[in-house]
Amino acid sequence: MPSALKVADFVLNDWGVWASDSESRETSCMHSSPNLAEIPGFIPKLQQRRLSPLARAVFNAIDRCIKPGENLPTVFSSAHGEVGKALAMLETIRDGEELSPTAFSLSVHNAIAGLYSIAYRNQQEITVIAPGGEAIGPAFAEALGMLQEGAAEVLVVLYDEPIAGFYPVAPFALNGEFTCALAMRLALAGKGMPLRLSRVPKNGDAGEQPVQLPLFVDFLRRGDGGAAVDFWGRGWRWEKI
Amino acid sequence: MENELKQLIIETLDLEDIGIDDIDSGAALFNEGLGLDSIDALELGLAIRKKYNVKINAEKEDVAKIFASVSALANYIQSART
Repeated sequence: MPSALKVADFVLNDWGVWASDSESRETSCMHSSPNLAEIPGFIPKLQQRRLSPLARAVFNAIDRCIKPGENLPTVFSSAHGEVGKALAMLETIRDGEELSPTAFSLSVHNAIAGLYSIAYRNQQEITVIAPGGEAIGPAFAEALGMLQEGAAEVLVVLYDEPIAGFYPVAPFALNGEFTCALAMRLALAGKGMPLRLSRVPKNGDAGEQPVQLPLFVDFLRRGDGGAAVDFWGRGWRWEKI
Repeated sequence: MENELKQLIIETLDLEDIGIDDIDSGAALFNEGLGLDSIDALELGLAIRKKYNVKINAEKEDVAKIFASVSALANYIQSART
């Protein structure tokens, strides 16, 4: 195995996950609807009506590690975002109907980030990545950059849902089997779970974010003990140190 | 007309927990009052165009006045249709 190039050590202070597949979900939320995440109670009704199932998953995961009023710089990463809404709008145009302004505003890639900024009154730096073939790596690279620039803590939120059947996915590994949202509080030092991110040679295809995300959640769940997760195809490696 | 508009507002804007009796015809629709925002105004403008074939031109008309309340909106639609 070629030697890995060390990129960065950091700590994971806290994390929360919501997934529509009960196997991947924390025991604490087993009572909730299996396919629709509960919305944090402090969010006003007028804002709740704008939350899609994917946005609800994201808010639920964030609520597990962020208190209302805590404003961290935030990095969102999603392979497909709300592309289902964009498809629905295209179908509306095809049918000769006028587009809904609300649907348009909620279809863009930073729509959920905008809803989050409003609901949490967060005016910190917020970045939204569409990582493509690099999968979950770039979100960490972005967050580590913000930490190096002086942020004490950065919230990273990875989320995706299965894409509409209209889109051909084969032969690419870019679609997940269920909705998954993972929120993580990263810092350069502290009492959290120490992790190391390394850049390693590419080898094969391990899939895009929707495929890698549940594997990464499993990695976090496995407890301590130096277990590493390799996404060789994209050249990133995480290990517990 | 006012009750019909209230029903249109509730359905168009997904106001699940609100009934037509909860909307005061004279009360503000935006910011204070019902608390709707600019995206809601656009959505409502589209719904009114579809249902009543009345187009509200944001550049030529005083939109804030037209959308001030349910009764103001009803008056505007009725005068625009005649």
